[in-house]
Amino acid sequence: MSDEPLIIKDDSGVRHLILNRPDKINAIDYAQHLRLMSQFDLAEEDPSVKVVALSGVGRGFCSGDDLTAAAFEGQDPYRHRKVDLEMGSGPAVLLESCRKLHHLSKPTVALMHGIALGSGYDYSLSCDFRVVTLNIRYGDPRIDRALWAAEGWSYKLPRLTNLSIVSRVAYLGEIMNGSQAIAFGLAHAIVDGEPDIRESSRTFLENLVRVSSPAYSQVKHAMLRGLDSDVERALALA
Amino acid sequence: MTEYEKQFSNESISCAHVDNVLSFQFLGNHIDYAALDAIDIGVTLAQADPDVRAIAFEITADGDDPASHSPIPQRFAHRVPKGSHGHGPIVEQTTILALRECTKPLIAYMRGEVNGVAIDVAAVCDLRVANESMTMCDTRILQGRAANTGISYLLPKLIGQSQAMRILLLGERLTAAEAHRIHFVHEIVADTDFDQQMNDFSNRIACMATRAWQIHKMQVLGQQHLDFESAMIHSLGIRQTHVINDRVEGIKAWRERRDPEFSGT
Repeated sequence: MSDEPLIIKDDSGVRHLILNRPDKINAIDYAQHLRLMSQFDLAEEDPSVKVVALSGVGRGFCSGDDLTAAAFEGQDPYRHRKVDLEMGSGPAVLLESCRKLHHLSKPTVALMHGIALGSGYDYSLSCDFRVVTLNIRYGDPRIDRALWAAEGWSYKLPRLTNLSIVSRVAYLGEIMNGSQAIAFGLAHAIVDGEPDIRESSRTFLENLVRVSSPAYSQVKHAMLRGLDSDVERALALA
Repeated sequence: MTEYEKQFSNESISCAHVDNVLSFQFLGNHIDYAALDAIDIGVTLAQADPDVRAIAFEITADGDDPASHSPIPQRFAHRVPKGSHGHGPIVEQTTILALRECTKPLIAYMRGEVNGVAIDVAAVCDLRVANESMTMCDTRILQGRAANTGISYLLPKLIGQSQAMRILLLGERLTAAEAHRIHFVHEIVADTDFDQQMNDFSNRIACMATRAWQIHKMQVLGQQHLDFESAMIHSLGIRQTHVINDRVEGIKAWRERRDPEFSGT
């Protein structure tokens, strides 16, 4: 297995973006956000990519933000948007990365096993589909630390589910297993995760590869615009 | 007796303020203006009071009483139109709006029969806990009355339009189990444990990072009618203008590998 923190692998039309920091259960630091954002752009532009799938190696998909990460010292395109907070890098980079994923015209899928928390959960909400394992620990426990993200979960979650579910997932910080994620309307399929989740999700991904890309893109954008429109405007934009 | 208890307990509702939890309990079988008015003013006061970190409602009521002609509170008198139209749901809507605008955790404990406007109060809360034998029914449609208090706005957003139509347009009576299945009720508790569970649950919520809860709620409710791009700006604005004490404590506790002690500020 590569030692790159983000593995890029193409398989029959699926561009796999694989989080590869297993010693930290794929916790996401600033550099990883920038890598993901750049890969979303590349996947959008590459005609050989039909589906984009996010997943992780090791014990889980993603344990959330890397709170132990040292300050980012590379070239930071969002430096001008940082604010002088007492801690953290500010929300701009996660927001922009999730925005790109949300608007990607191709099918996007989060393949989640083991643990999918915090910013891993944020990325999953920006995907079109969520595939989970039965024993996953999935959700946003940041409220247990009085933390919250600003990447758009508060817009997306009520529209993906409903306000009653929001109370459980966002206000109480309840951690879901696979069955609950399905019951709450957040996950679309449960797979067993063996030998790895990319392999066990193969059928789900192949079905998406077969969908007409232009039709998918058109319907997806109509749906996203429709969420913010009244019926007359939505029909005119369709 | 606390100031809240003195000011907001009356023959229709009792109010208690214990351990950062402000509780209201409906008395009698109907919800009247005296109860709704006490909630409206009490909750508005509590929103600005750091000693209140969670607000709970114990709800057992057969809705309002259409045959009752209890006088409208004096402070609404100027809003009552002349003529034979009646005053409409001025008091009910004002109370529901006060609850909707309160960002502190709101918990509804639904016990026994919960009907009509009692469902409205439960629906505007963040969490709903029911006892096993609870049933709920929006009786207003069965009485030929329109539920014009805001429930037709709230319910589809809480449980989806399909389920809301069962309740509001068919007047179906739901058991606690069914209300839980459609996600209206978040938790069901055995009848025998209900009193103890109410107390424990409210205290547990009041010890949470309630300021962060408020910020979560500000984002969710504030973005209900925003488009995606405006919602992103709204989130950023809230994130960058709310550096709260609990957030600092949360991180500090994590680094020191201990449980955080939140102040709700």
